[in-house]
Amino acid sequence: MTFFTIVVRGLMRRPVRTGLTLLGISIGIAAVVALVGLSRGLDRSWAKGMKARGTDVVVSNMGSALTPKPFNASVSDRIAHLSRVAATCSSLIDLTSVETAQMMIVSGRQWNGFTWQNLKLVSGRMPHDPDEPAVVLGQVTADTLKKKVGDRIQIETSDLSVVGIINGGAWVENSSVILSLPLLQKITGNQGKINIIDIRVTPGTNQKDVEGLCEQINRLVPEARAMPGSANVSNSEVYRILQAMSWGTSLLATLVGVLGVMNTMLMAVSERKQEISILLALGWRRRRIISMVLWESGLLGLFGGVTGVMIGAVGVQILGTTPAIRDLLRPDVSMGLLAISVTIAVAVGVLSGLYPAWRSSRLPPALALQG
Amino acid sequence: MKPAPFYLTITTASEYLFEAKDLRKEFDHGQIQALRGVDFHVRQGEFVAIIGPSGCGKTTLLQMLGAIDRPSSGTLYYRGNSISDLADPAAYRAREIGFIFQAFHLLPTFTALENVQIPMFETSQSAVERKQRAIDLLKTVGLAKRLGHLPAMLSGGERQRVAIARSLANNPAVLLADEPTGNLDSENARCVLELIVRLQRERNMTLLLVTHDPAVARRASRAIRMKDGRIVSDRESDLEGAEV
Repeated sequence: MTFFTIVVRGLMRRPVRTGLTLLGISIGIAAVVALVGLSRGLDRSWAKGMKARGTDVVVSNMGSALTPKPFNASVSDRIAHLSRVAATCSSLIDLTSVETAQMMIVSGRQWNGFTWQNLKLVSGRMPHDPDEPAVVLGQVTADTLKKKVGDRIQIETSDLSVVGIINGGAWVENSSVILSLPLLQKITGNQGKINIIDIRVTPGTNQKDVEGLCEQINRLVPEARAMPGSANVSNSEVYRILQAMSWGTSLLATLVGVLGVMNTMLMAVSERKQEISILLALGWRRRRIISMVLWESGLLGLFGGVTGVMIGAVGVQILGTTPAIRDLLRPDVSMGLLAISVTIAVAVGVLSGLYPAWRSSRLPPALALQG
Repeated sequence: MKPAPFYLTITTASEYLFEAKDLRKEFDHGQIQALRGVDFHVRQGEFVAIIGPSGCGKTTLLQMLGAIDRPSSGTLYYRGNSISDLADPAAYRAREIGFIFQAFHLLPTFTALENVQIPMFETSQSAVERKQRAIDLLKTVGLAKRLGHLPAMLSGGERQRVAIARSLANNPAVLLADEPTGNLDSENARCVLELIVRLQRERNMTLLLVTHDPAVARRASRAIRMKDGRIVSDRESDLEGAEV
């Protein structure tokens, strides 16, 4: 028998209570994994999309809405002549329901702009001209909407034809409906308006120069905000709200976990008062009692954490297939997130055990001789 | 004289193993006086019975001897060291003292073999050594075939024998027994008492046994009679070695 045997035996004493506590921690940790995985997925998907498009700087006005606020298309002309700007491409992005999909990215792109260049045709063709009532679909969108080349698609009140299926090299691109900017402006009644300008910088421009260019644009264009492509979504208010909600909910779940483990450990210690006093009377040091209680609560955290990340990892994949999410992002559940979640769970366990451990170590050994 | 272990800070040579001077214990801010000035001494290897009616202070005295409670005033010495001032009372309890309780106080979710190993966690023995010593001790108390039994699967007499084996786990110099036969029928009480006395003699341990049963006290070499927190008599037993 080892000290570990004693610790495990303590947990197995009340298997139902231990099981319910584990379940409580598991749900909390699963929530951490799922929510953080989703928000990181959004960030990661967007950054990958930017990279695939070859966008170095994005000019947009990411307010509190899900899509950036539209601004005048002439802004693009004011930016295009700046040094270090190799090319610009204006877009109008909308998040809207398209037929059976509740929320889908509809991307109207400047005709012949560089953001068309990364789109590789899987089947069909690109639109012939900016006025052709036609769209190309990302592969994921085509699967979601069950569309193939030659089918019709309804956006807002317009009936368009699907002329091509593309692979854009990133989840965001493959989850979009892509058409020409003038066509989308007309469909949505946003003539002369855009809400995103993708900028490609001249070769040899370093990160510091990119930041300098952003500052220059921000001075020049007060109605929008420029930032490096990879940072665009993480600087948006929606993303920040999403992040805050994720971590806030996770914090709440963690707090519930702490209280759950603390309650369990306090009950366990309370039930075992005499046993602990016997151990003290038999010569166990107080620090060994503290260690025993902390190991018990730490193990609760560990097992709860491992179960929680498994539930969370599976749950987030299931969540990723729901209609509201599957077309927007791919959840990012990395090994790092799983490791952090388990670490949080163990820390929750140990932290929750501190007070019960301290209380148990203060028990008088004389209690052993009573009763 | 052997050097004092680390937890005994003073290496004073003493004639007595235990020596109590004007020992007092009060509870509830002096409303209850469990010990009212107790003086006595115990030599190495003695078997001392502490006898008296319920509430006379026997168990309180045993708690002081085992360093699981402190006197309100007065001093209790062990080998010349004040027990209240021991640097590490837990080490003293683990290595010098073996406790036998009236209600056995075995841990219910641990087998007999595991219960006996519990006190050994405060020594440097390996898991293998702990297990082997526990087996040997359980054989000594006649429970070689009950190693894997939980306390609930053992009779009262067997449980107390497991508790006796546990008290010997760290080869203590002193056994403190609090009514060790109090929860047993007469036959089991006789067997358990015989076992304790035999082990005390074989191992030359000092035994202090609290009882309210004069028959049990007659097995001791000396009987200290208490009443209302005081020692009312302290004399060599007339019937030492007699059968109960």
